[in-house]
Amino acid sequence: MQRVLDLAVSTVLLAGLYATMAYGLGLIYGVLRLVNLAHAGVIMAGAYLGWLLHLELGLDPYLSIPLVVAASFALGVVVYLALVRHLPRGTAGGPSSLLLLFGVWLVLRNAAYLLFTGNDQVIRTGYSIRSLALLGGFVSLNRLAVFAVAVVVPVGLHLLLQRTFVGRAIRAVAQNADSCTLVGVDVQRVYAFTFGLGTALAGLAGLLSATLFSFNPSFGASELLKSFVVVVLGGLGSILGTGLAALVLAAVEVFAILVLPSYLTGAVGFVMLVAVLVLRPGGLFGQRVLA
Amino acid sequence: MPLLRVEGLTRRFGGLTAVDAVDLEVASGEILGVIGPNGAGKTTLFALIAGSLAPTSGRVWLEGELVSGLPAHRVVRAGIARTHQIVRPFQNLTVLENVHVAALAGARRKGGAPVALAEELVHTTGLSERARDYPSALTLAHRKRLELARALATSPRLLLLDEVIAGLNPAEAQQLAALIREIRARLGISIVMIEHVMPAVMSLSDRIAVLDHGKKIAEGAPAAIARDPAVIEAYLGTGAAAGAGAPP
Amino acid sequence: MRPGIAVVVPSWASPRAAAGFLVALAALAGAPALTDVYTHNLLTLTYLSVSGALAWNWMGGFAGQVSFGHAAFFGLGGFVAARLLLAGTVPAWAAWLAGGLAAAVVALSAHPVLRLRGPYFSIATIGVGEAARVLFTYWEGFTGGASGLSLPVAPELKLQLYWWALALLGVAVAGSYTIRRSTLGLKLLAIKSDVEAAADVGVSSAFQQDVTLVLSAGMIGLTGGLYASYFSYIEPNDMLGFDRSISFVLMAVIGGLGTILGPLLGAVVFVLVRQYLLASYPQLYLGLYGALLIAIILFEPLGLTGLLLRLARRFGYRDRPDLAPGASAVKPAPAAAERR
Repeated sequence: MQRVLDLAVSTVLLAGLYATMAYGLGLIYGVLRLVNLAHAGVIMAGAYLGWLLHLELGLDPYLSIPLVVAASFALGVVVYLALVRHLPRGTAGGPSSLLLLFGVWLVLRNAAYLLFTGNDQVIRTGYSIRSLALLGGFVSLNRLAVFAVAVVVPVGLHLLLQRTFVGRAIRAVAQNADSCTLVGVDVQRVYAFTFGLGTALAGLAGLLSATLFSFNPSFGASELLKSFVVVVLGGLGSILGTGLAALVLAAVEVFAILVLPSYLTGAVGFVMLVAVLVLRPGGLFGQRVLA
Repeated sequence: MPLLRVEGLTRRFGGLTAVDAVDLEVASGEILGVIGPNGAGKTTLFALIAGSLAPTSGRVWLEGELVSGLPAHRVVRAGIARTHQIVRPFQNLTVLENVHVAALAGARRKGGAPVALAEELVHTTGLSERARDYPSALTLAHRKRLELARALATSPRLLLLDEVIAGLNPAEAQQLAALIREIRARLGISIVMIEHVMPAVMSLSDRIAVLDHGKKIAEGAPAAIARDPAVIEAYLGTGAAAGAGAPP
Repeated sequence: MRPGIAVVVPSWASPRAAAGFLVALAALAGAPALTDVYTHNLLTLTYLSVSGALAWNWMGGFAGQVSFGHAAFFGLGGFVAARLLLAGTVPAWAAWLAGGLAAAVVALSAHPVLRLRGPYFSIATIGVGEAARVLFTYWEGFTGGASGLSLPVAPELKLQLYWWALALLGVAVAGSYTIRRSTLGLKLLAIKSDVEAAADVGVSSAFQQDVTLVLSAGMIGLTGGLYASYFSYIEPNDMLGFDRSISFVLMAVIGGLGTILGPLLGAVVFVLVRQYLLASYPQLYLGLYGALLIAIILFEPLGLTGLLLRLARRFGYRDRPDLAPGASAVKPAPAAAERR
């Protein structure tokens, strides 16, 4: 019983991280109709940035959140304005956008490799190995902190989308970009902002992951896939749905560790991806726009 | 047995019922006109019959065979072809290639060589001059003919024409109308046509069905439909039925 | 199957061009008499890369379904062939064919994934590719695990591989043209243009893509088999790795997605660049390709082939007014920055 409780706690904590990762991908898809393959690269970049700040400046990862988020946001905006914006109309779903963003991912990967070598890194702080007694078991302090951040994210996102002008603009553009131009909304600005917001969330997720897992320049691929699983499963535009989907994915993973031999657990995410995509043919995308 | 039988065909999108329990029959060799105000569900009806959309309920039979629920490409093989309201030619293929692709299905249905079938249809629809052009180089009138040629290339028993005449000038419209008559006469294909251009649909159709808000509100000979109060009301609003006369 | 009408192909694919190609093949076949071992082997590797890129292009370029997981088929073919070669029961060519066949058969089971469109398909292939790699890495009985398999390859075979690889290249090129000019090619083009309109004229995108994948997988599996013999050592992380999958994408796209010359050019460039870059700047090449990819998407969607075409047009070469053969899945960017 205690074991189950431990697993449940693990699941919830992991789900928080997955949800944070997924929001970034989902936001960009929901508004720009782009599948951002560079999501993986930005997650990796966020991890490295946090690690670098920690290494060089001794900055605690949780304190560096604003910096990493800002930098990731800036990166996204730049990528959008310099590259994505120039994609021809109507190619959003086609290979062009995929390949373009894939190119960005490759560049990011290579940059990290050049700067930091291919060795595995991780962010270790004083409290990395400390745990807290919770519900009869011990929970890593770090995981709790990650979860705390992960809970704040959807709340913040919800407030942004519902209560601010920018948020309304985003939702409007997601529903009907053409009409927005007619009423004077600068659609390109909204796109750039949204893209940046998506990458900001990815960078944040990367930073958080860096405190939990080791990473190298190739980091991000399976995170990309898991984000995709969560977005497809959770339905677009539903912050709650994303959270639930993240729980499902995390639950499957955590319990798979129990059942499967260790070397296969890595494939769980992939299998779930294929299963989710195949069982929901055509994707859920387009069913709901940002509400 | 009627060529096409539609029974209780319904399609809902969330809260909206686009097509509401429509019953239709089309006899072999008949031209049935389908009219109705914008948003009445006419194109959705076509999509349901052609298999592009799955019905929420109801069924469609072609020559006694159930075709509702089949995917679009199977429906084509069964013998129903459609054109689109906004033409959708394959931009990366020439006119002849466009028709050729469709003729692959047509030749499977009727036998013969796809190439020959395609060439013949390009000729019949008056596109021989443009056979090697790309759709982007064609006028709208020619693109509509291409759409038609492509549909015909599948050797259908039933052809669904979605506003093929709209957008053409009177001369082009005349030519296309003549072509449609020829299709029925020479190829023996039955036709259901959605049209807003009243003179055309009135003169071409043997019978007319009227849709409004997804429901069929009237059906009969063109002359009778023109005088039907329910039809007039659907188009012009309540009170307009008081003055009997031809619809706009 | 062959349409007698003008499925317009540029003049360099006419009977004259075919003859020219055969002459080139013959010349290449005779080349080893004039070259040293290093060049000989480099050429062999190039031929294999070209075949792989062309095979990938059948799915990515002709069918417009970009796969990031083709290494799975490559590796499957390679390991099946390697196992058979190790058992020593069949001649090399039979082992390679078996590899190709195995890959083609497995491709049949990929039908559910093929029903996915565009980006969903591509992302799913990342998952499939990685799952396959994990599976192969730990299936020690079959693949030797992370240590892989060592093949005792007779030295003559390595030399002969040159001609086998050249023959494979010939098959890949011929196959590409056959598909392109056949009714399958026509249907694929229609599907790429408008999958729903294609269905409305009786073309089942799922079925056509199934067929294309089986061909593509089989061809790349076959290539994997020869590759195994060439290197006489293979291991799962290399054969089925993401980088391997990426290499096929890069070769085809940089050369010219959807064209036939494209994967050929792209593979040649890829192999050459890799050889020389690997010496001086070992880890730069992925980033370089990433940047190239970006440039291609934005400026010249048909990659190197597109650049060549532009050059050729300057000299009066008259091509289709539309895009080049196999109307690239990638559309060119308009002159002004357009709203997406």
